[in-house]
Amino acid sequence: MNWLNDNVNLLTLIGAAAIVILTVVIVGKYIKQMKTDKSTGELSGNKWDGIEEYKNPLPMGWSLAFIGVIVWGLWYWLAGYPLGTFSQLGQYNEEVSNYTKRFESKWANPDKDTLMGMGEGVFLVKCAPCHGITGDGMNGKARDLTTWGTEDHIVDVVLKGSSGQGYPLGQMPAGMLDKASATAVAAYIVQDLAKTGKSKHPELVEQGKALYATCGACHGNDGKGNGGSAPALADYGKAQFIVDVLNHGKKGSIGNMLKFNDGRLTDIQKTAVGTYVNSLNKE
Amino acid sequence: MFHWLEKNPFFFAVGVFVVIAYAGIVTVVPDFMESARPLKGVKPYTTLQLAGRQIYIENDCNACHSQLIRPFKSETDRYGKYSLSGEYAYDRPFLWGSRRIGPDLHRVGNYRTTDWNENHMLDPESVVPGSIMPKYGFMFDKSMDFDTAYAEAYTVKKVFNVPYDKPGMPKLGTYEEAKKAAIKEAGAIVADMKDQAVKDAYKKGDIKEIVAIIAYLNSLK
Ligand code: HEC
Ligand code: HEC
Ligand code: HEC
Repeated sequence: MNWLNDNVNLLTLIGAAAIVILTVVIVGKYIKQMKTDKSTGELSGNKWDGIEEYKNPLPMGWSLAFIGVIVWGLWYWLAGYPLGTFSQLGQYNEEVSNYTKRFESKWANPDKDTLMGMGEGVFLVKCAPCHGITGDGMNGKARDLTTWGTEDHIVDVVLKGSSGQGYPLGQMPAGMLDKASATAVAAYIVQDLAKTGKSKHPELVEQGKALYATCGACHGNDGKGNGGSAPALADYGKAQFIVDVLNHGKKGSIGNMLKFNDGRLTDIQKTAVGTYVNSLNKE
Repeated sequence: MFHWLEKNPFFFAVGVFVVIAYAGIVTVVPDFMESARPLKGVKPYTTLQLAGRQIYIENDCNACHSQLIRPFKSETDRYGKYSLSGEYAYDRPFLWGSRRIGPDLHRVGNYRTTDWNENHMLDPESVVPGSIMPKYGFMFDKSMDFDTAYAEAYTVKKVFNVPYDKPGMPKLGTYEEAKKAAIKEAGAIVADMKDQAVKDAYKKGDIKEIVAIIAYLNSLK
């Protein structure tokens, strides 16, 4: 075994040897002294149960250090102590904001799988108690997300109207178009405006484009929502459309969903849950 | 002075305590005095909410639910901002609880709504499969106790100077005024509910316990 080649082992060994040697020498000296020494000096005159004490003044350096520590102690108590400069919550907030920054930079450019995974987690914790684990709305207790956000849903909205997200334009009235025209508009929105895929009725897109003027009055001709006065239909079927829903909340004909604006979800988590919700409708 | 302390063990003990607890005294006490005051924007409960709070205590909801969000990321992610002591200024007694068989409820009003609570209180498993929270269907039949709620509000106003009727604070007023206000507040909640029996009772001037407990849960923000 070559354990003496290791520096740390060697140092430890030398140290141990030094301690043994020093101990033997010093203890030996005192033992010898105890055998031969006679106590001398001036007695203080105090007597405790027959035991007396020599006058044995503190060495100068010692007393100075002692007084110095007392003075420093008083100063530290009254002035030096870091009063009011530490806050537990402050430290917590700082750590959380550092964490959030790291979280954001880590997921700055998530791919689709990451978003789906994160979105499913968020959905099960934050949304499932109302929308159900599968997103089916649990027999009408909340919006059935497996049919929401589809091309057919647009037709449904046009026929029945929509309200409760608190947009400046208030509510969208029911029955602005009949079913056939609504189907055409829906085809246009999906295939041409939002460009999220091919419509079920590609032959109606052109007709829908003309009819969209009705919608453009509120939703903007570019579908961008007229500067936030109505939902941005150009985002229909994308995660951003759901992010907008979450930022608005909705108190509609089914029930009430409050805004998600109290910091429990970050923007990236909202986008993730939006991506996940979009995957729920089987169209 | 040292000889004197040696001969007076009581003062000696006080001295030792001050020396040992010094760091605690100078950091905890001033902070405590400050944070025990009502936070800006915190308001006393309305009588309807107080009635709900009494139902909450009566049914020992606090045996399963805490109302204290600690500054841990895992908690603030789930429940919202951590709790501050000034938020409990009008809670008599506070309902921090010490067990979490169910989730914390200190900010449940931020993410649960009247219609959800209605479904959940009637049958928790209808919205959360496998929930072990008991059903509270009887709250849909039992009428709420307005008189006790008013008595509590009136008492804390007189005895503890809780700022009812101050500018920007909830109005309490006389018994009749308070009752009118409670009925109005209950109306907004009943309108969001689905249960026909509760709605019919409300029309007859009878407010069920479920309405009051929902008012209380919605007020927890
Ligand atoms: C009077 C203005 C107005 C017009 C015209 C209008 N909308 Fe809307 N629309 C709104 C408002 C406001 C909302 C948000 C409603 C809410 O609060 O849920 C909305 C919401 C929607 C939604 C989203 C519903 C949801 O489930 O979130 C769709 C889809 C939609 N409109 C499609 C259309 C189409 C298609 C047309 C044309 C036929 C149209 N809108 C015309 C005002 C309008
Ligand atoms: C408190 C219960 C509750 C929670 C929690 C909840 N929702 Fe909802 N949500 C509802 C209800 C109720 C509706 C239907 C509102 C209406 O139209 O009457 C709804 C509607 C929706 C809609 C359709 C909005 C529209 O424009 O029609 C979407 C999308 C949605 N929720 C997504 C989510 C997502 C994503 C989450 C989780 C981050 C979530 N919800 C959490 C109750 C809830
Ligand atoms: C035996 C313990 C127990 C008692 C007593 C109890 N709960 Fe619960 N509660 C739970 C559990 C477990 C959950 C989580 C599962 C669920 O949502 O049903 C829960 C969930 C909740 C939630 C939903 C919270 C959230 O974040 O989703 C609310 C609101 C609630 N309880 C209110 C009450 C009220 C009000 C009472 C008193 C009338 C009460 N609970 C009594 C165990 C209990």
